[in-house]
Amino acid sequence: MQRSELPEQMEGGKEYHRFRIEPKPAPHVYPIPNKFDVSARKLRLAAMLVHEAFEYRLNKEVVLSRPCIYGVFGGHFGGFKPLKQKCVGCMRCVQEYPHIMTVKQSDRYKRLGDSFWTPENVYTVWNEASTGKILVKGMGYKGAFAGEGFDGMWTDMSEIVRPTRDGVYGREYISTTVDIGRKPTSIDVAKIDDQPKSLAIPVPIIFDELPIGTDKPDVRTAVKLAAEKIGTFNITRDTRPSKSRVSSLLPIIDEDDIAANEKNQPRIVEFDALRPDFLEELLSCLDQSIFIGRLPLRENSASIASELARQGVHGLHFYADYHGRDYSKDPRHVSAALKHVHQRLVQDGLRDQITIIASGGITLAEHVPKAIICGADLVAIDTTVLVALQAEFNGEARDRANHHLRPRRINPEWGAQRLVNLIGVWHDQLIEILSAMGMRDVRRLRGDIGRSMMDEELREQSFKGIAWAT
Amino acid sequence: MGNLELIVEKHTERIHHGLEALPTLRHGVPEGLGNKRWTGELILATYEQALTGEIPENGLEYKTGNSGGGFDVLGWKSHAGVAKVDEDSVDLSISLNKRHEGRRIEIPLPIYGGGMSFGSISLNFMIARARAARKLKTYTSTGEGGYPDQIVPYRDHVITQVATGMFGVREETIQYAPIVEFKYAQGAKPGLGGHLLADKVTSEVAKMRESSMFTSLYSPFPFHSVYSVEDHKKHVDWIKTVNPRALVSVKVSTPTDVDMVAIGSYYAGANIIHIDGGYGGTGAAPEIAKKNIAMPVEYAIPKVHEYLLSEGVRDEITLMASGGIRTADDVAKAIALGADGCVIGTAEAVAVGCTHCGNCERGRGCQVGITTTDPELSQFIDPEWGEKRIVNLFNAWSKRLRMILAEFGLESIRDLRGRKDLLARYK
Repeated sequence: MQRSELPEQMEGGKEYHRFRIEPKPAPHVYPIPNKFDVSARKLRLAAMLVHEAFEYRLNKEVVLSRPCIYGVFGGHFGGFKPLKQKCVGCMRCVQEYPHIMTVKQSDRYKRLGDSFWTPENVYTVWNEASTGKILVKGMGYKGAFAGEGFDGMWTDMSEIVRPTRDGVYGREYISTTVDIGRKPTSIDVAKIDDQPKSLAIPVPIIFDELPIGTDKPDVRTAVKLAAEKIGTFNITRDTRPSKSRVSSLLPIIDEDDIAANEKNQPRIVEFDALRPDFLEELLSCLDQSIFIGRLPLRENSASIASELARQGVHGLHFYADYHGRDYSKDPRHVSAALKHVHQRLVQDGLRDQITIIASGGITLAEHVPKAIICGADLVAIDTTVLVALQAEFNGEARDRANHHLRPRRINPEWGAQRLVNLIGVWHDQLIEILSAMGMRDVRRLRGDIGRSMMDEELREQSFKGIAWAT
Repeated sequence: MGNLELIVEKHTERIHHGLEALPTLRHGVPEGLGNKRWTGELILATYEQALTGEIPENGLEYKTGNSGGGFDVLGWKSHAGVAKVDEDSVDLSISLNKRHEGRRIEIPLPIYGGGMSFGSISLNFMIARARAARKLKTYTSTGEGGYPDQIVPYRDHVITQVATGMFGVREETIQYAPIVEFKYAQGAKPGLGGHLLADKVTSEVAKMRESSMFTSLYSPFPFHSVYSVEDHKKHVDWIKTVNPRALVSVKVSTPTDVDMVAIGSYYAGANIIHIDGGYGGTGAAPEIAKKNIAMPVEYAIPKVHEYLLSEGVRDEITLMASGGIRTADDVAKAIALGADGCVIGTAEAVAVGCTHCGNCERGRGCQVGITTTDPELSQFIDPEWGEKRIVNLFNAWSKRLRMILAEFGLESIRDLRGRKDLLARYK
């Protein structure tokens, strides 16, 4: 097995370094909409000021002391021209002056994203890409009780199990390394040099190919740089042979690309898995590469996966659409479709031999452990990359060919840092989840459905005996 | 009076006026107020109950939120044909010690206050909660931030919390306590330990926690001395040695095996098993932890209750539930699902003006002085005023609880426990 080429390890020789992605601030380049819209009824505001001027005998400091601790009324014109970008929605101005003040979510904020990407999710990714820090907030959860797919799933926790934690990073080491490739099921000493190929990456996240038309040179460079810095891969249609075998590029190739790549074989390639004849050709020509078959999640994905695993594929990349729906006639959420594939491979005794990459609808940090629980080894992210780079939604972003995402012009270095921050903070959050579960290794999480809880199942168990309302 | 005092007085008066005016709906329900769990109407209904001590009668929704699940999709079965009992004769008291040995403690309503630490909330709010607990003859919990001297006069109504950070855990604070609560985990951040960000660690907070000023404090997880039920038993024995009269409560989160955790706590000698569901409140927690780890308390209660029943020990341990209990109806539903009573935190904060905006993690984050360590903002909560609001809220809740029980012909809240058959589901 090739070990991961982690930057720290390469620079530090053989010294041990705990893997960590260091964030650096990469503030938004394009202005983002205010979350809240604050406004005052101006006549009433003026009347109130006059009233308070009398009440406090023209004591300017008292009269002009503002009902906001965030400085919304700290501009020259106070409440007449509030500094809306400072509002956090605490509502104190409304509490103090309900007849004058109004605070609501801004229309521009409400228009962010599409029917899948909620404004809250867009904001979350922006914040993560900008700061690289886990969002820590007060009060409890504010959203819907549960929802479809990942939203109807909770991860388990353990009250007393190690790994222990002291502070954010002062905890026992938790590995987020995953293997890509085929794994031997037993060791044959006679064929020790002929082991199946696999390599390890330090985080279970890679960058998927970008939506058609968004793969601009600046964006492409940013993704490539970020993948290199993190030690992960980015899937690309750019099949020109790379100068170095340690490249972060993971090309999707077809027959025409084989000859050009034979000399400098990529470490991993993806290919169209719906053409099984092609696998044989690849296996014979690119004998140094790991082959990942790329295919859409459908009703028959499980049987195809089983067949391809038997034929010797090293891994499979199943993709759903950008809203996390598979391509079945009756579309399922990617979580359900993945479970089906995983369980079939387990039944057939093939699951441990191949790697499964899942993509489509992986837009928040919590989707990573949840997809892994459903059976993926690692995930690939797509629209999330563009959201982190402040691309604009001009309509729905349904899938690679059918989307209204418009990337902005960016500085590739800035873009790379945004993506490094994003993966860094997702890595930290993955560790939070693993730590809460008492797990030291993300590889143990794969397919461990018993360490998750589903809304529908719990509802039926716990509400058993409660009659339906009439 | 200096300008600073005048400014505090002005804004305190305005806030109080707003808390009275808003529930009248003269200005409608403010558009930006609330969220799916704590809707704007629910917040205003809580203000109203905290003001009057009565069930709102102006059409405000005071029973449920709009989260689309859990308590919000449970209602009450029709009680047509049931002989109603007199509301005034309904008994709301519960016992906090059901074992045959140890101190007998009963509380007159099935509610006590949850842990909110010094540092995560202001001292004034902490005192207001303690005063309210004394008035209501129930309890409030210190949380894990230590035991300020100003709380000592109320010690007969204060639960000392022993959490993984062990802040302020001293022999005398264990000896003060009628109940000692081990916090193994918290619903809002299961498996992660407490968070107090640097902003809030003022000199007073740092002194209490024996830490450095303005340095973030992340409590360890789990207890470094507890990796088994046997270890946990040693913890319980330790408390019983230091204070043999104290009851022991074990606060845990809601993993898949929460029923096993409960039975383990029982065998270790706990008097109270307190389950804190995944949607619980907090002064600060990673957003990812709030909605993704551990199950909501609505699902955990029946699981624990039914398992303790099947093990034949249900009547020897008190089951308290918390984590998203917002209303009297939520309390009653939790009890009908199998709890003995509920532990309340956020609703007390809403009673004194919280808008559930979620900015409590910052030093000057709380606009009305509840979850702050800022000396100026803290003054917005006068302990006496806060006490009155909390007492009023629970008086209103008591009335609603009596109403529910009376309609079903039940004379005691203890008779409601595990009566799922009185609930109706909408989803």
